[in-house]
Amino acid sequence: MAGAVVEYSRGRSTYASLRLSVLQFLADPQWLVPSMIAPVIFALVSFELFRGAGAYFLTYAILGAGMMSMWGQTLYGSGWATGQDREFGTLEPTVQSPTPYLYVILGRVLWNVVSGLFGGLIVYLVILGVAGGPPAVPDPLGFALLFVFVMVTLAAVGVIFAAFYVYTRYAGFIQNIGEFAFYIGTGCMFPVVLLPFYTNPISLFFPPTWGLDALRYLAIPGYQGFSWGFWGDLAGAIVTTAAYLGAAAALFRRVERHVLEEGSLAWY
Amino acid sequence: MSSSTWAIETRGITRVFESRKGFLFREATRTEALRGIDLTVERGAIFGLLGPNGAGKTTLTKILSTLLLPTGGTARVLGHDVVREAGYLRPRMGLVLGGERGLYNRVSGRENLRYFADLYGIPLAERDRRISEVLARVDLEGAADRRVEEYSRGMKQKLHIARGILHRPEILFLDEPTIGLDPKSARETRKLVRSLLADGVTIFLTTHYMFEAEELCPELAILSKGRIVARDTVARLRQLVGGDRTLEAEAYGFEDREIDVLRHLPGVSKVLNEEFGPVSRLTIRVRTEETRPDALREILLPGHPEVAVRERRTSLEDVYLDLVEEEAR
Repeated sequence: MAGAVVEYSRGRSTYASLRLSVLQFLADPQWLVPSMIAPVIFALVSFELFRGAGAYFLTYAILGAGMMSMWGQTLYGSGWATGQDREFGTLEPTVQSPTPYLYVILGRVLWNVVSGLFGGLIVYLVILGVAGGPPAVPDPLGFALLFVFVMVTLAAVGVIFAAFYVYTRYAGFIQNIGEFAFYIGTGCMFPVVLLPFYTNPISLFFPPTWGLDALRYLAIPGYQGFSWGFWGDLAGAIVTTAAYLGAAAALFRRVERHVLEEGSLAWY
Repeated sequence: MSSSTWAIETRGITRVFESRKGFLFREATRTEALRGIDLTVERGAIFGLLGPNGAGKTTLTKILSTLLLPTGGTARVLGHDVVREAGYLRPRMGLVLGGERGLYNRVSGRENLRYFADLYGIPLAERDRRISEVLARVDLEGAADRRVEEYSRGMKQKLHIARGILHRPEILFLDEPTIGLDPKSARETRKLVRSLLADGVTIFLTTHYMFEAEELCPELAILSKGRIVARDTVARLRQLVGGDRTLEAEAYGFEDREIDVLRHLPGVSKVLNEEFGPVSRLTIRVRTEETRPDALREILLPGHPEVAVRERRTSLEDVYLDLVEEEAR
């Protein structure tokens, strides 16, 4: 019966994980709702507070709230899915398969970022209904490309974050602490420069901080973000994202070693 | 036999679990789950590992299947080190941990298999056909497209097995594969195990069902408190615990004097006295044909007119209980 051994494919494994995530989401799509509540509220409050700040403020609010939604979905989805792997007992057979768990996580994170787009879309529709349409983006193609890249920056954070869930069953509290700290720290809703100076370097550790600032430079004429401007933001986003993804493989190897030493894969 | 002919070869495997309890004052606990396991299993054979709960069966299975690192010793599967060469081994081994957990409940059985087929890199051209094949083999074709959460325990167990054999492993680890199954499903599972063996798959089976081990495993080991206390064929294990025949006598209490007389009968290797409320049961292992039930009646009848004596073959359960109890003492 023993067949010829074939190698796993990183791309196929990532796609398989993404596909399974979609199927599981379709079986129970209610989890999209909690990740949208906070962004919609933040967006509406911001809009009411800064109603007179100009037409482009709408763009700012939509981008920020959309990003919050995407992050919420990434955070909940990626970490939660691994937590569920523990709960359902599927972490052991998945880790025991030839595919490194990193690629399983990657597939899930990609799906979660994409599903976060639905949340972003709903934020957009809510603000559209309340305040009317925002002004057109000056460079739609550049904006679209950068937007996709910002999704990659979010995925990079999600991958690293998911490692905590593999490492320990107690990662849930990190998720709860991290959610709002991240909203504030990355400047999703309020400019990072409003935060105390000492927090700024922490914000710069997150790839989406750079990516979102670059996106605003591109979408809002006259936007004043970080002093290094659009290209500096873009370079920072690329470097930090590459660093996160580069660290992910080594991190997952260490995490796997740790859980195999502890024998904690089946704990939930 | 050269080491390459062994499917499994372990030397002095130990595993210690350390955990901490408490919040402010953390108390460390240390559990020795395995205490120096030396084991060899031939390729293409089925090997049974018997043991009570907590004996270390699942721990050993997880170490051999690369899901747990040993604290000490070495383990080789298919000639490769389970720690250093896990990447080589994983596509070549199947693991069935079984139970209610371990499956994606909200998607269908077929989707579960498709996911793992992709993780194992089963060629796309073969994938769907192979999934249908294993579903047919475990008799789940009819339910393949239903959500796993609608499956019975037995169906889930079948799906676990289907996943374990989907990538056609050279060695399959089955951890208590029939636990919780109804008799029909358990019988079908054992039939499947035999057919896998006929296909040339090496099978490492843990169980605490004696009849299952006896039926499936020509050779087995008994694990107790992290040690292998015996390893042989069932027939030789019977001899190890004192004989192929067992006589049982039941009455309202036996005296030490009577038990002592029985101990000195020809061929008697062991006499065990157990009390079940007012009733006592003597279990006597006999190596030879010299001591028959009549001899027992002759000795016991004067003091116990009500005595009932019967003879049976020493079962694997007797062997198991004797060895495990001996280890516990």
